[in-house]
Amino acid sequence: MQIKPFTDTPIKYLEYDGRPSADVKELGLSTDDYLRMYRELVFARAVDDRCYILVRQGRSGFFAQIAGQEASQIGSALPLRAQDWMYGDHRSQGSLMIKGLKASEWFAHQLGRMLDPSQGRLMPHGPGRRDLNMPPPSSTVGNQITEAVGTAMAQHIKKSDGITICYFGDGATSEGDFHVGMNFAAVYNSPVILFCQNNQYAISVKLEEQTHTKTIAEKAKAYGMEGFLVDGNDLLAVYAVTKHCADKARAGRGPSLIESYTYRYGPHSSADDDTRYRPKGELEMWRTQRDPIMRFRNFLASQKLWDEKKEEALLVDVKAEVAKALAEAEASPVPEMMTVLDHTYAAYTPQLEWERKELAAELGV
Amino acid sequence: MATVEVEKKTTLSTMVQAVRSAMIDEMTLDPNVVTLGEDIGPRGGVFLVTEGLIDKFGKDRVIDTPLAELGIIGAAVGMAMFGLRPVAEIQFIDFLFPGFDMLVSEAAKMRYRSAGQFYCPMVVRSPYGGGVRGGGYHSQSPEAYFVATPGLKVVAPSNPYDAKGLLISSIRDDDPVVFMEPKKIYRFQKQEIPNGAYEVPLGKAAIAREGKHVSLITFGAMVQLALDAAEKLKPQGVDVEVLDLRTLQPYDCDAIMTTVAKTGHVVLLQEAPRIGGFMGEIAAYIAETGIEYLEGPIVRVGGWDTPFPYALEKAYMPNVERVTRAIKKTLNF
Repeated sequence: MQIKPFTDTPIKYLEYDGRPSADVKELGLSTDDYLRMYRELVFARAVDDRCYILVRQGRSGFFAQIAGQEASQIGSALPLRAQDWMYGDHRSQGSLMIKGLKASEWFAHQLGRMLDPSQGRLMPHGPGRRDLNMPPPSSTVGNQITEAVGTAMAQHIKKSDGITICYFGDGATSEGDFHVGMNFAAVYNSPVILFCQNNQYAISVKLEEQTHTKTIAEKAKAYGMEGFLVDGNDLLAVYAVTKHCADKARAGRGPSLIESYTYRYGPHSSADDDTRYRPKGELEMWRTQRDPIMRFRNFLASQKLWDEKKEEALLVDVKAEVAKALAEAEASPVPEMMTVLDHTYAAYTPQLEWERKELAAELGV
Repeated sequence: MATVEVEKKTTLSTMVQAVRSAMIDEMTLDPNVVTLGEDIGPRGGVFLVTEGLIDKFGKDRVIDTPLAELGIIGAAVGMAMFGLRPVAEIQFIDFLFPGFDMLVSEAAKMRYRSAGQFYCPMVVRSPYGGGVRGGGYHSQSPEAYFVATPGLKVVAPSNPYDAKGLLISSIRDDDPVVFMEPKKIYRFQKQEIPNGAYEVPLGKAAIAREGKHVSLITFGAMVQLALDAAEKLKPQGVDVEVLDLRTLQPYDCDAIMTTVAKTGHVVLLQEAPRIGGFMGEIAAYIAETGIEYLEGPIVRVGGWDTPFPYALEKAYMPNVERVTRAIKKTLNF
């Protein structure tokens, strides 16, 4: 299938019931690839469920679920390479884990332990890892967009063969950061993919109250950029479109905007009450008819690659891996109180030196 | 007869030329140094600081940007994390605010929030300050916002020699630096400055004039005003010491305490409004740490607590009269 920008309906490879609606063989994915993809979907959902319980138990203070958006996150992260940069947002842990963040690190991030690559310095939105070229997400909506474009500009300047992907939600497209970032990306023909996970709500505000365009993808036209609308609950479609844009960026043919049309099952965060704004029946419809994991499982079954027995074995395996990751996180120590002053600057300033003495006296260390 | 070429070791330079010289030297020495901003390419910047740089270093390293300060600072953050050393020019510091979020939420906090994994070795250069008939949006001195943001360094030179050396140190520094260039004195004086790169260390103040009766502490364009006030008082037997802070964050506590201990009288001079101003921090530091040296009140001189005016600029800007009055106030206590 030729991947085309500005389609009226989302690009898809699978029907809602999992039957292929396009030639999936052209994607060049092996059976092993399919099985790995499915495992990643199931694993991401399991981590998500576990984190939700941690919050309910009062062991973690905040959590933004990805449930419902697994295909969008995993499908878009799989085409990336080690040298590529990834800018996540507050709801992108599925992508971060594909890039290499360990589940144990993610749990440690939830719990504020030293195994967290950010060492407990961030509300649990997502930690960064320098060795994975993955800066820590910001809480200020949209800030990562111009940064990602700057990194892509640097990749071009240094003739790196890496590209950059940047995640943000539908709400972020109302921020100035989106428009400035789109413009810079297009003007400099930067090797960047601006990946919008349109889950249709910015906390409580629905997309039609957020913007007056029919789609987000079409906004790319105004910047002289290609915009792709993809079914974000179709793993293969997200993979195909992102790979297309990644190849394009790598070949020096510039940036792309991808609108991944999806739906979140959870509230905006553990501090939100989504029953106040979702129409009755909407969530149930998405859960039962458009679930990305069920859709891919049905696809595997239609290819005779999956059955109940395999499913049961996988769930046991994933459950054990999640439990192991959480145990590792819990075994990790909480940060030492004295480290609160570290990493403000490359070296301690004279003022921070006094504060270190003051805090040491206060703590009696 | 063959002519002998004597290699000149210094060049007579204005501050604009000194800043340009720093840019050329660092861009020559370090291929990771790039500069980006509005009109900095063929136009050479509105103050001509980047004149000729695009011919020397090309479009990849001297980047004319779309008109969006958010994009300039945001892109610089992304470049810096990747490993470049971007120098972003904001045409007037009054125009920085669309990019303020990227500076205070991102550049300043990246090292902390990543536990030291990511950091932003970048400089935001920008002309600041009044006395140029620029009105409210070409004259402000907003250092207090930046100084109050942990993670940022703030530098403001007062002369061409320091401007070059401090900018080179700022570019080489691994933390984000707001480099405030006093545009009123961009072409006020010429100094012989060394050819080739040299550093003036960050965090170190300099005595601009030695004296024994009162410490007049200031920075940037106000250093010249302080020196003028000191000369004015000399015939009256008042010997003023002028301390040029040069770096505002982190400020040089030792130099401040040394001069305070020496004179026992302090006047603090800035262009910005006094409420919540940077000199309030210096006053608090002196009061907390050196109260035993003081023989009179710490007196601040600043702009009024109003927006910066246009036609009434003379009524707003600190002047020799206001500074001398403040000095007498503390000396006659």
